Amino acid sequence: MISKEMSMGKAVLDHPRLLPLFPRFGIRTGFGEMSVMEVCHSSGINPDFFLEIANAYLDEAFVPAEGLSRFTLGTVVEYLTATHTWYMEVALPGMEQKLLDLLNGSELSKKEVALVTGFFDDYRKEFTEHITREEQVVLPYILELEKQSQMERPDPDFHRRLKEYSIREFAKEHDRLEISLENLSMLIIKYLPPFDDQESCIRVIRDLKELVRDLEEHADMEDRVLVPRVTELEQQLLQEGGAA
Amino acid sequence: MNRSGFILAVEPYLIRKGLASLLNRVPGVRVLKEFDNADRLIEYLETNSADYLIISQLIFDQASGLFISRPDLLEKTILVTERDVTQTPGELRSSIHPGEKKEMILEKITGMFDTARAEPVTNLTPSLSNREVTIVRMISLGLTNKQIADRLFLSTHTVITHRKNISSKLGIKSVSGLTIYAIVNNIITIGEVTSKPDE
Repeated sequence: MISKEMSMGKAVLDHPRLLPLFPRFGIRTGFGEMSVMEVCHSSGINPDFFLEIANAYLDEAFVPAEGLSRFTLGTVVEYLTATHTWYMEVALPGMEQKLLDLLNGSELSKKEVALVTGFFDDYRKEFTEHITREEQVVLPYILELEKQSQMERPDPDFHRRLKEYSIREFAKEHDRLEISLENLSMLIIKYLPPFDDQESCIRVIRDLKELVRDLEEHADMEDRVLVPRVTELEQQLLQEGGAA
Repeated sequence: MNRSGFILAVEPYLIRKGLASLLNRVPGVRVLKEFDNADRLIEYLETNSADYLIISQLIFDQASGLFISRPDLLEKTILVTERDVTQTPGELRSSIHPGEKKEMILEKITGMFDTARAEPVTNLTPSLSNREVTIVRMISLGLTNKQIADRLFLSTHTVITHRKNISSKLGIKSVSGLTIYAIVNNIITIGEVTSKPDE
């Protein structure tokens, strides 16, 4: 667990798993003696939100405090959007480049190379579709929900829709984007002919593994931090609407 | 990741809620239903299924008839016992004691599906039917829906339905994704895929 008072430098040294979060929050290294709270303030981040995400990342059994709206859902949505951008603009292209370098320097047949590159192209398309759906349907729904819950008289139309759709539906159909990447690792480890450049091969396998873990953690974080908050708000709005 | 559904039948409120909160934090696990007595549990299981069951000693004793008529349930059941956990009744897989450490309890819960997965069925995802495996194989060989339909004496519509089911079961939509799935699950060899003629 990390806390607001802890030195950010020490938090990172003790928990290097936090590192991938930094670019998404726009946090940059060079912390000096600043505490977690100070770093958050200087990067324009709500420290409560940062702590909730960071601790959810570090501890699988971490349970966010209930009933406290110490940060808005708008903050969560902003973070998710930044994370998506990071996947699309940094993580996936980086992974693809490493794969291509490995394949280009290899003795693989054209067909074998095409198998992998074709796979990665399709994977990126699926990934993009998934994120587009989230950004066009799910995130706007969350923002609207928050807006409605702050209004004295929520829109009856929205209230009606709320009875039919809930964030739980989204969580249920939440595709697990890491499965295909795991298959790709397995293909390289077990079924493609050995690469001459084993160092690069190992690096690719390790990077794939890291990306898989990151995607799992991201999805779990959505399930554990985002979904409960949104559900809370849905319930609240449904009850208020019912009373009106 | 397939989500495993757990049913909790434990009468002490705090223990049940504690377990539920722990279970919901395990990736891939979901609590389907909670019960505080044997009657409701029996009634529920008449029409519903569960992947796993966590049951207290008292409810286990009261529902003994259920386990006699459905011996398959024993394999999927963890007992919550006040007694010594080293003495799990022979037919049950595992038991937990409310006084145990979180890590211990988590290990037992995840241990349930680790061994279930390791069962020597095949190394395919067990949820694919034989027909679906055949279709995955044909897709990987580059056959079109029409060609698959002709070879299996099905309508194209039926093939499309199968493909939809396959995709939702595996979480893989693209042909290239299914091809790699088929290779790593030994449905097809990489040689068959890379030696197929160009269209």
